[in-house]
Amino acid sequence: MIALLVMSLLGQSYYSPEEARGVFQQAAMAYAQGDLDAAATGFQKLIDHGSGSAEVLYNRGTVALAQGQLGQAVLFLERARRADPSSEDIEANLAVARSRQLDQVVGQGGGTFLQRLVEGSSATALGWTFAALWTAGFLALIARRLMRHRPALLGWVALGCFAFALVPGAAFAAHVFVRETYREAVVLDASVPAQEVPSVGARAAFEIHAGLKVRVLAENGAFWRIRLPNGLEGWVPASGLGGI
Amino acid sequence: MRRIGRALTVGLVLLSPVALAAEVEFSQSVDRTEVGDQDTFRLTIVASAGGADDIRPGLNDDFEVLSRSTSTQMSFSMGSGSPGMRRTTRYTLVLRANKTGKLTLPPAELRVNGKVYKTQPIELTVKPGRLGGSAPSQAQRPSRFPGFPGFPGFPDDEEGGGFPFPDMDIPRNDSDLFLQAALDKEEVFVGEQATFSVYLMSRVDLTSVDQLTLPKLDGVWTEELDSPTQLAGEQRIIDGVLYRAYLLKRRALFPMKPGTLDIGRVEADVTTGFLFAGHRIHRKSRPLTLHVKALPEGAPPGFAPSNVGRWTLSVESEETTVKLGEPATVRVTLEGAGNLRNITLPRLTGPEPLKIYDPTPSDKIGTSRGRVEGRRTTEYLVMPQQTGTFTLPTLSFPYFDPKRGEYDIAQSEPITLTVEPGSGAVAADDGSHPKNVLSGGGLRPLRDRSDVERAGKPWWRTVPFWVVTALPAATWLALALVGLMRKRLAEESPEEAQRKKTRAARARLSEAHKLKDSQDGAAFYGEVEKGLLAYFEGNFGRPLRGLRRDALMDVFVQQGISADRRARIARVLDACEVGRFAPGSSTAGRDQILQDAVDAMEESR
Repeated sequence: MIALLVMSLLGQSYYSPEEARGVFQQAAMAYAQGDLDAAATGFQKLIDHGSGSAEVLYNRGTVALAQGQLGQAVLFLERARRADPSSEDIEANLAVARSRQLDQVVGQGGGTFLQRLVEGSSATALGWTFAALWTAGFLALIARRLMRHRPALLGWVALGCFAFALVPGAAFAAHVFVRETYREAVVLDASVPAQEVPSVGARAAFEIHAGLKVRVLAENGAFWRIRLPNGLEGWVPASGLGGI
Repeated sequence: MRRIGRALTVGLVLLSPVALAAEVEFSQSVDRTEVGDQDTFRLTIVASAGGADDIRPGLNDDFEVLSRSTSTQMSFSMGSGSPGMRRTTRYTLVLRANKTGKLTLPPAELRVNGKVYKTQPIELTVKPGRLGGSAPSQAQRPSRFPGFPGFPGFPDDEEGGGFPFPDMDIPRNDSDLFLQAALDKEEVFVGEQATFSVYLMSRVDLTSVDQLTLPKLDGVWTEELDSPTQLAGEQRIIDGVLYRAYLLKRRALFPMKPGTLDIGRVEADVTTGFLFAGHRIHRKSRPLTLHVKALPEGAPPGFAPSNVGRWTLSVESEETTVKLGEPATVRVTLEGAGNLRNITLPRLTGPEPLKIYDPTPSDKIGTSRGRVEGRRTTEYLVMPQQTGTFTLPTLSFPYFDPKRGEYDIAQSEPITLTVEPGSGAVAADDGSHPKNVLSGGGLRPLRDRSDVERAGKPWWRTVPFWVVTALPAATWLALALVGLMRKRLAEESPEEAQRKKTRAARARLSEAHKLKDSQDGAAFYGEVEKGLLAYFEGNFGRPLRGLRRDALMDVFVQQGISADRRARIARVLDACEVGRFAPGSSTAGRDQILQDAVDAMEESR
């Protein structure tokens, strides 16, 4: 029991920066030499030990894509995109992965307005724009207060900054809201049946395949209720999905 | 020894008076005395006098004659008397019993010079079925070297194409001419070849085979192996009977589904004899059954049910080094035995910079020992789009080997193709086309470095973000609070304001007191008026200077100032107005004015 506990603790321990860099380089070298299994194992170790930076997640997803493991590839690339939303490489490899997907969601409206807004904008850019305008507005107010004659121009400048900060601020808030409240997952198994009710042996309404990104609405035991971008919903075994 | 050996019954004609007189030897013998009713056996009659026409075999309906042959042997003898020639005739019949039980071959007769000689009868035991024995039970080609069957280079049991001649039985009726359909195997796997042959076996002269009708085969892929246009027979001995065997049709059958495959009868119309003496005969073969086994479980990924046989896969390129813009020809070849026409080759793949055009397929199918074999080749034109060294990966072809009964995978070797810069093809060298096309797409490369930091929270959850966002607002709020506090601190209470106003009014009255004796009456009265109004401004909290007199009095009324006091105030203000505009007035009344002003102020407390 104690040995198991010790092993468990060791298994969850973090790498030192030197160890992590070593594992990273070995995995990257294995990929360069065509040993995809060794590369995948190396990057997965880093993730399992808590060193899941955007680069590690991107590499893990790219290796999975090269291995033909579409579900794993999309899962790790989506996680990498969350960690680094501005990376062109992540977007490019995600596009490659999507082109290999079996499912074509017909009649999709791109999800809710908030989801479309979030999909079509960068949280980082919005956040920085909002922060800049917000700070500029208050700096103008501070300057006006510190000046003896309190010029009205500074008041108008502050008002303009706050007005312009409203749009990026709201969009940024939408990003935070979606990120904090929307659960998303990726289909990992080659084929997963989506049932009308969450019970084993229930009739499958439709089937989804590896690499498809879905929204998780609720949980019921071993089943998750998922919604596709076009609004199609069903209960699927949680074991067939990976949370982003 | 007696049972298995050759039983010999000899008619000792030499001991008979007739024979002794003529010195004629006449006997008959069989090669076996115990046979099956499906077996054939040989009866040999030997006579030392007369010819073949003089011999009458003693046969009855219990026996069927399958063939007859005669031979004559001459010998020269030098006896004690005069030398002489001796002629021996051998009459051989191949027989088959028509019923079982104890049967008797009657004596044979020989008629020479009006004399009749007889042999002894022969007792035979006939049992049901086939017992085998010394008579050839398999179809054999007559040996060219008697006594050396199977001599190397001269197979006795194969046809010209190397295909083994099938076992067959002579039908009880139509034994002179019969149609035989045969399969080389009774049981095959799905997709495995079974060879179906149709023979016409004849002991009569044939003119032609006018019509041949083959059974319809559902669920079977067939491949024509042999279909002679002319009758070309070869001699075969079936159960000791000499036949001419004519191959009419040979097909390879590849069953597509498991189960029992029933193959119906083959029918043929045959014309026998010569010219006008010939007549047409209709013959049918016996039906056949082929058992088709399903392929076992555990097929490797990518296996197709038609991939049955023995195969080797190879990928070859005519060039391993090409100039940019020049195509390389790569051939994918599958070679082996099996249903080649129903097989799909794996598609050649390669890295993005190698543009692979649609292939051109070609087949070379032949037969060997009745088996379909050959090669299928797909030829690809590979056009490099970039310089560099590229690898065409290994191709795999999973198949089922029916001989070993297990799955296997044929794999090719990878091919490395080096693309060098150069003049390239005409199309690439005329200046109108780019030479090194660096097209996008494919996977982006891995990141070669990472800070391998621990996965953290989103940046909007971090303290620095909130510090940066909240700091300007907090600073402004702090400044606003400080200003408000300073303002609050700077504000005075009404009592204090009144006191200040009162102090200011008193100061003005004090100033007026100093001026009461001066010649400048305007200054004195001005100070008195200002002091009085300043006092009441402080009390009322509103400006009073500048108001007309009636408006001023209304303010006093509104503020509850008594009529006496209003009158006193009005008197002071009137005096001040007169004094300011009548500078020559005396100083006598100034004390009173000053006192009235003080009284008006004091009264208000």
